[in-house]
Amino acid sequence: MKKMRWLAMLLALVMVAAACGSDGDSGDTADGGDTGSESTDSGDSGDSGDSGDSGDTEEVDVAQSGDLTFHMITHSEDGPFWSVVKRGMEAACSDLGVECVWMPGFNDANQMVQDIEGALAEGSSGIAASLPDPTALVPVLQGAVGQGVPVVTLNSGANDYQEIGALTHVGQTEFIAGQAAGERFNAAGATHVLCGQQEQNNVGLTERCAGLEDTFSGTVTTDFMDLDADTTAQQAAINAAMAADESIDGFLGVGPVITMSGVRAAGDLGRDVIVGGFDLTPELLGAIEGGDVLFTVDQQQYLQGYLPILQLFLFQTNSNTIGGGQPILTGPGFVTADNAASVLALSEAGTR
Amino acid sequence: MTDVSAVDANSATANDAGEADERLAYRSIFQRLFIRPEIGAIIGAIGVWTFFWAVSLNFGTTGGTQNWLDSASTLGIMAVAVSMLMIGGEFDLSSGANTGAMGILFILLIRETGELGGLGASIWIAVPLSFAFAMAVGFFNGWMVEKTALPSFIVTLATFFILKGAKLGLAKLIVGQISVTFTNDAHGYAFWQRIFAAEWERNSHVWNGRDLFYIGMFLVGTILITLSVCEMHFVRRSEPKPAGLGLFGLGMAGFVASIVLFHTTDGVGANFVAAAVLAVSVVVAMVGFGQWRYEPVAAAGGLRLNAGITNYLVAGLVSIGIAVACAFAIDSANSETLFFPFTVQGLRAVLIMVFVGVGFMLAMVAANRALSVNPITKGAVSTVIAAALAGFAFVVRASSEAAKFRTELFSVLLLCALALFAWAVLGTRFEERRRTDASADRLGTRGLLLGVALLVFAVIIRHLFVTDAELEAGVNPAKFSVRMLWFFGFTAVMVWILGNTRFGSWTFAVGGNKEASRQVGVPAARTKTQLFMIVSGAAWLVGMLLAFRLNSLQASAGDGEEFEFIIAAVVGGTLLTGGYGTALGGAIGAAIMAMSAVGIASARWNSDWRFVFLGVILLLAVISNRAIRDRADSARR
Repeated sequence: MKKMRWLAMLLALVMVAAACGSDGDSGDTADGGDTGSESTDSGDSGDSGDSGDSGDTEEVDVAQSGDLTFHMITHSEDGPFWSVVKRGMEAACSDLGVECVWMPGFNDANQMVQDIEGALAEGSSGIAASLPDPTALVPVLQGAVGQGVPVVTLNSGANDYQEIGALTHVGQTEFIAGQAAGERFNAAGATHVLCGQQEQNNVGLTERCAGLEDTFSGTVTTDFMDLDADTTAQQAAINAAMAADESIDGFLGVGPVITMSGVRAAGDLGRDVIVGGFDLTPELLGAIEGGDVLFTVDQQQYLQGYLPILQLFLFQTNSNTIGGGQPILTGPGFVTADNAASVLALSEAGTR
Repeated sequence: MTDVSAVDANSATANDAGEADERLAYRSIFQRLFIRPEIGAIIGAIGVWTFFWAVSLNFGTTGGTQNWLDSASTLGIMAVAVSMLMIGGEFDLSSGANTGAMGILFILLIRETGELGGLGASIWIAVPLSFAFAMAVGFFNGWMVEKTALPSFIVTLATFFILKGAKLGLAKLIVGQISVTFTNDAHGYAFWQRIFAAEWERNSHVWNGRDLFYIGMFLVGTILITLSVCEMHFVRRSEPKPAGLGLFGLGMAGFVASIVLFHTTDGVGANFVAAAVLAVSVVVAMVGFGQWRYEPVAAAGGLRLNAGITNYLVAGLVSIGIAVACAFAIDSANSETLFFPFTVQGLRAVLIMVFVGVGFMLAMVAANRALSVNPITKGAVSTVIAAALAGFAFVVRASSEAAKFRTELFSVLLLCALALFAWAVLGTRFEERRRTDASADRLGTRGLLLGVALLVFAVIIRHLFVTDAELEAGVNPAKFSVRMLWFFGFTAVMVWILGNTRFGSWTFAVGGNKEASRQVGVPAARTKTQLFMIVSGAAWLVGMLLAFRLNSLQASAGDGEEFEFIIAAVVGGTLLTGGYGTALGGAIGAAIMAMSAVGIASARWNSDWRFVFLGVILLLAVISNRAIRDRADSARR
């Protein structure tokens, strides 16, 4: 027992030292555009040192903002998409001098409910949550609003934020994004688009394909391919689907990884397929620059991390609400060969 | 091994007296084949392949084959290694994350230095360095399992989380990104790219003589297999009767003539003539071969049917009849999607397949029972089944014009019917062996292996080369990657290790009963640690293959795949409890899973139902494996 206590004290010492140590290079207010702030975000707890870092937040009442702790509960782990959301959140928290806790739910609604309850139990000053599974999450978030804790929904949840009584929703309406992609395929002259999904039970992905089907003038075939974790199987499934139907001349991947799988499958088949994608990775942006991919729908997810924290902060310190009860749309924006190079630079820095 | 002949003599006399030591009881070639642990998986693989081949136009082509084989390669390498570990009685839940971790580690080592991280090492250094790290991970797993005496499920779960977190953490710390990429200008790239990602582009390798070569090899292989099976099934004559060879030669001449006839004409009538010549000459050749080499049957007996035979036979024929009824009742031209995963055509195909399969199996049970009555009865039952198969073939042919059944199915079914009929004829004329004959078995085994090798070689050649005619018809390009060679090579090495080395025997021993094996001197801890290192080494190999294929890896790459590896191993006949299974089974299990995934996409079924299908396959696989194991156990007892 005694040994354990010593170990715990030693651990606490090390953590305090680490927290102090990170002050040095995170004192700048830039949006994480430089590598300096990148290197700190791997240690989540290390960032809590920022809250004590009052040098750049003088105009705010330090005591009050120091007391604020916001929780962001999302349904995904740190994929290429969510890591940028996380960076947006971190930048907002560092800019505003508040404490933030990032809680990824690993696609498990139950886990998210527990995380939200845990945040409430800790006396959270505000909750930002994504809503992949509204039935499970709406009641607990309504409970939070009932307790007087402000809630902002992000990413998915555009249809439910009002029912919760959330301040606003920050995200992209997936259906509208899909519709915009459909218009792009129309303009490019495609006749039969394969809409490939990398997850089976994700409402947002289904909505993207449904949006495509709504505006696209030709045929749309929607199909689950395989998970992003197994790109080999994903590519094989796309390959088989394309080979089975010669009329397919377009492919929309509803995520960046599956989009690249589609590019490779079309290349293997030697087919001339117009490829469109969703979201950004350096690889996908490189493919857009190289002409293999026509466009990608950019929902500027950095904003989905930054704006909810900003809204919660303004509400808590100044009782402001943004958007007038309407959702705040962060997309769809498009990245094409015209702007790929500049976006690529930002993406490599991890903010796009 | 030394006293085989003595045992032979003993068992021969004992058999005659009806009091054989059951451990030495003679098992026919079919019995011996059917107690192999991977036989369920092999039959399953053939079934799944045939199924998708029949319902999808693209699946059986070279493009489709390349597609599922490619998908099976990385899965298969891991499944083989995981099978070995499971035979050794342990699990490795970190194996999935490990594949991605090794790839990411490798990329981080070779990425150019500078603003966005990387060590900038030469690939020549990064390859052995990452391999050493893989060995360390495997050693750590094995060592922890041994030292803590905790279940490997728990220990490797911890390793899984560590690797998963380290992948993400390191990628973001060093590169500031979730996906790590590398460019082609790393030192040594050209060489190692060829080792791990070289590709064979089929469409740029034209060989117009391919089909002639293919058919020749295929026929030689088939003949060799047939004769080898005869050699292992019938009693050798004390002195060969050369007159039979004349008949054999005559049959072979007719055989060759029929093949030539098939190839020189396209007319339906001429093809039927050729088919008739083929059927007669095959039977003549086989009978001739038998007369030359084998003992005539002693007591053929008369036709005696009992209820046990007729019930099964009638049930089987009725089932095949239902399949025929389905074929006619359901409109094959209608391709609308049902509420079910299938289109009308797909549903029809499934129903037909199921009923034919069940009917055929029931009928075979009848034939098996007839065997215990007398050879003539068995011959008669087999002939009826062959006739039913041939009849079904014609139904398929009638409906193949309305699409969804490949025309080839007709010829394949007819060939099956012919094989069954010829075999039935042989059974009525020659004496089946009931005792071991070591020299005949040796010869037969060699012939069998050579025949299978020739068949495989023929198929490989057919897939690797393209003909001008195919190019003109606009065949889909297919790129065969060196990944498949790694898969085959790795499987072969592991099969050899498991079957022929001391380490292989130790693996079975520690998986069967660790304490007992330890007491008889097996170094259990070392064996298990080495097994963990094999899995980690396989994960490294897959990591390299992935890295060179994609030139980039997601931090999530491989996470969750470990269960696919375990499923593939289980489908391949490996027991979850350890001590039983094969390495080859894991490879075949991986092939089944890859075929299912690609086949469903290829047949354009609604992918929402994909996991239902996978679940059914998994269930069927484990049930049949169980049945086969029980049979094997009772055959040994």
